[in-house]
Amino acid sequence: MTPGVRIWQCKGCGAKVFPERLLCPRCHGGDFDQIRVLQGVVEEISVIRHMIGQANWKPRRIANVRTANGPMMTVGLQDESGPGTVIDLFEQDKAPVGRAKVKAKAKAKSK
Amino acid sequence: MVMSAAIIGVGQSAYVRHPQRGQTTHTFIREAVLAALADAQVDARDIQGMAVTSFSLAPDTAVDLAWRLGLSLRWLLQDTNGGSSAMNMLGHALRGVESGAASPILVVAGDATGLGGYAKIAANYNIATRDHLAPLGHGGPNGVYALVTSRQMKAFGLEKSDYGQIAIAQRAWAAKNPFAVYRTPMTMEEYLAAPIVADPLSRYDCVPVVAGAQAIVVAEPDRAPRGRAPVRARAIRHSFNYDNQEGDGLVTGISTFAEDLWQAAEVAPDDVDIVSIYDDYPTMVLAQLNDLGLIPDNDLARYCRRYIGEERFPINTWGGMLSAGQPGGPAGGLNGITEAVLQLQHRAGERQVSDARLAVTTGYGMTMYRYGGTAAAAILERME
Repeated sequence: MTPGVRIWQCKGCGAKVFPERLLCPRCHGGDFDQIRVLQGVVEEISVIRHMIGQANWKPRRIANVRTANGPMMTVGLQDESGPGTVIDLFEQDKAPVGRAKVKAKAKAKSK
Repeated sequence: MVMSAAIIGVGQSAYVRHPQRGQTTHTFIREAVLAALADAQVDARDIQGMAVTSFSLAPDTAVDLAWRLGLSLRWLLQDTNGGSSAMNMLGHALRGVESGAASPILVVAGDATGLGGYAKIAANYNIATRDHLAPLGHGGPNGVYALVTSRQMKAFGLEKSDYGQIAIAQRAWAAKNPFAVYRTPMTMEEYLAAPIVADPLSRYDCVPVVAGAQAIVVAEPDRAPRGRAPVRARAIRHSFNYDNQEGDGLVTGISTFAEDLWQAAEVAPDDVDIVSIYDDYPTMVLAQLNDLGLIPDNDLARYCRRYIGEERFPINTWGGMLSAGQPGGPAGGLNGITEAVLQLQHRAGERQVSDARLAVTTGYGMTMYRYGGTAAAAILERME
C-alpha cells in the first residue's frame, strides 16, 4: 500500500480537491500539482453489513474522514477506529483506506 | 411565470421485486406507455415527442425505444440525471409543448435491472465511485447515505425512531396503493427491530429495488379528457452540482432555488396540500423538506414526531419508493409526479387527500461521491 492519498492542489489558488477535477472549482484554473495527504480525522462511521447481490458478504467499515488541510473523503477503515481518531491514510489501488495512527514510541519499540 | 402546458394523463406498469423471464425494462415501459396513453385518451399516432430515462435501456437509446414503440417523433430527449431525471424531463416537456416544438409529449421512465444488475450499476455509477468507493465495499448508495444520516442525526439531534415515523407513515399510505410492493402496515417496534444494513440504516430505511415503469402525457390543457382537470406547473426549478461535493450533504440543490421557486409560483410552503418528495432514504426526505421551507424552525425531529407521526401530513401518499419500490431510480421520481397528478385530479381512490389543489414534487439524485448532486422541484396545480 502506498502511504498517503493522492489529492490535487490548484496551481492558481491553492485549493485542494479529491477526487481529481478537470478545472478548479474555485478559480477554474486547469493546472494542478499532485500532492499526498497523510492523515485525517474520522468523523462518521458505517459498517456495511449487507451488500446487494452478495450472499457471503463480510461486514466492512467505511468512514467519512476530514483530511489535514484537505478535502473530505470516504475511507475504508482497516481497524476499529472510532469517531475523532486520527488515522494514517493509504492508497489501495485508487481507493483511500486508513487505520489508527501508530504512536512514535510504540513504533520505535516494535523495531 | 406560471406555465401553460399541462399533464393530461398518467400510467404505470406493475411493480415487482423480481422480474420474471420475459419481463424487461422495455416490456415494463410498454405497459406504462399503454396505460398513460389510455388515461390521457391520446392515440399513439398523435404523439410528437418523447422523453425517456432508464439505467437499463442500453444498448438501446431513446430513438431505439421510439422505434420499438412505433413512434415517429419531432422531439426526443434522453435524460441521465437519476432521481431528478423525471423532474428534468417534465420541465423540458412542458417547455417543449409551450414553445410549439411538440405536443403531446410522452415522458417515460423505467428499469428492470434485477438485484445483480443494480449492484453493477451502483459499483460503476461514475468514475469517482468506480475508482474510490466501490473497491472499499462501500455498499452502494446505502453506505453513502448511512454516513449522511449519521451527520444529520448529530447536526439536528435526530433519533433513529424519527426516521421510523417517515417509513411507518409511508407504509400506511402504501396499504392503500395496489401498485406498492410492500403494503402491510408497520409498527415502530417492527421498524426498530429490522436488521441493520449499513449503520445506522436498517432495512426499512433503504429503498427496495423493484422493476417497473411510469409514464405521463404532457400537452396543452384543452387536450385533457373531458371532465378531468389538467395539472399544470406553477413553477419548476433544477440544480446540478450545486456545491462541488464540498459540503456535508445535509442541504440539497433545492436550497439554491427554493426561494425563487415559491416566488415564481406565487404561493408559499403553507399553501401546499400534498407533497411528493424523492425518498431513496428518509434522511433525504427531511433534507429536501427543510430546503423547501416546509419544516418550521428547521426542527427536523419535531417535524417527524408531530407533523408526520401524529398528524400524518400527506407526504408521499402512494407509499413513496420506500414502500412502493424504486425502479432503478428515475421512475421513482416520475411516480411522485404521477401521484401528485392523481391527487390533484381527485382520482387517488382510498388515499385521496380532501380537496387537494396544490402540490410540491421533488427529485434528487446522482450520488456523485459523498451525496447527490442533482435536485429539482415543481409546484403543481389543479386547473379548473
